[in-house]
Amino acid sequence: MNERAYAVELKIPDNEAYTAMRALQRLGVAVARVQRADILVFEREESDEALSALIERDERLFNPNKHRLERLPGAHPRDGEVWVEMLDAARSAPMRRLVGWRLFDHAGNPLGGADLDAACTRLLCNPAIERAIR
Amino acid sequence: MKARVAVLVFPGTNSEMETRDLLVDCGADARIVHWSEAASLQYYDAFVLPGGFAYEDRIRAGAIAAHDAMLDAVIEGAQAGKYVLGICNGAQILLEAGLAPGTGEVRRPTAAFTHNAQGHFICERVLLRRTVAATRCAIAAALPEDVLIPAWAAHGQGRLAAVPSHLEEIDNGDFIVFRYADVAGATDAHFAPQGSALGAAALTNREGNVLAIMPHPERDAWNFNHLDRSEGDDPLAPSGGSVLFESFVTALERR
Repeated sequence: MNERAYAVELKIPDNEAYTAMRALQRLGVAVARVQRADILVFEREESDEALSALIERDERLFNPNKHRLERLPGAHPRDGEVWVEMLDAARSAPMRRLVGWRLFDHAGNPLGGADLDAACTRLLCNPAIERAIR
Repeated sequence: MKARVAVLVFPGTNSEMETRDLLVDCGADARIVHWSEAASLQYYDAFVLPGGFAYEDRIRAGAIAAHDAMLDAVIEGAQAGKYVLGICNGAQILLEAGLAPGTGEVRRPTAAFTHNAQGHFICERVLLRRTVAATRCAIAAALPEDVLIPAWAAHGQGRLAAVPSHLEEIDNGDFIVFRYADVAGATDAHFAPQGSALGAAALTNREGNVLAIMPHPERDAWNFNHLDRSEGDDPLAPSGGSVLFESFVTALERR
């Protein structure tokens, strides 16, 4: 059974992402834009349509007034993205819930290399309780 | 001259008034300092980070505040030996800033007070017992021996967590100043209402000049907080959880 991932992202201004961007800039990370999303990873038999409907029906996961739902191309972070997961999250749960942070530079390109590493280790992930997936 | 204590306020802090008032009642010259006044912190003898939800707990509880300019002064002061007390969200900030347990680099946390085991906010009266030698943490040094401190565990993220090897280091290194206790003073992990590792309620650093405590002693600190007070008691007299603040001020006066 393949893992499939969905991103639930705010379509209204994301104050938390903005705060993260300002904090990262203060730390010297060359980031110009931050996107944040709840990443939902499933390992289930249902079709994409059925899983999307499942998410959209659950008010704990999705509010159509403020969220957009996106099926991600793979169950792994995209360029410039890190997924942060609690270390004690139940790995066998039917749905894994992570936080996705996608960082872009001043040219609009996904952030990579040392800057993304610095963002993870200095702010986005506390290794005592979380793991960062790149 | 009274010790000058700064009570730090970040956007989202909500316990600064009672924290300041209790410090004043215990003999300190305590003042509230807002995040826009970080430059003034150098003039204070000690720092108290009160409870609340600094920066709305964005990213993680305490994570943004730990990188605020206010913390530059707190870190510098702590490294110079000034006393630093963090309560609830203030404790979370101190762990995110790496000041407690202080076993790694500054601003590289090695532990956290994170989501409660039950997965939701709790509000419970608890008792805390010092489980290290009086000399281990200066802020708690003047507490009466075997005193049980009443406090309120009012948090959604009060469970101490770290990787197992580091929890062992925290335990063996006497970093846990207070543990949750029962009315008889017995301590055990199952007295921690949120499943905190090792039954820990408060951590110090190697030098013993920093104390990060999750429950709120300042919410059980005057007679008016106590329903079982006697008829003639002055409702505004400090009592109960005030002993920790009295110990903090005593430590400052002894310096």
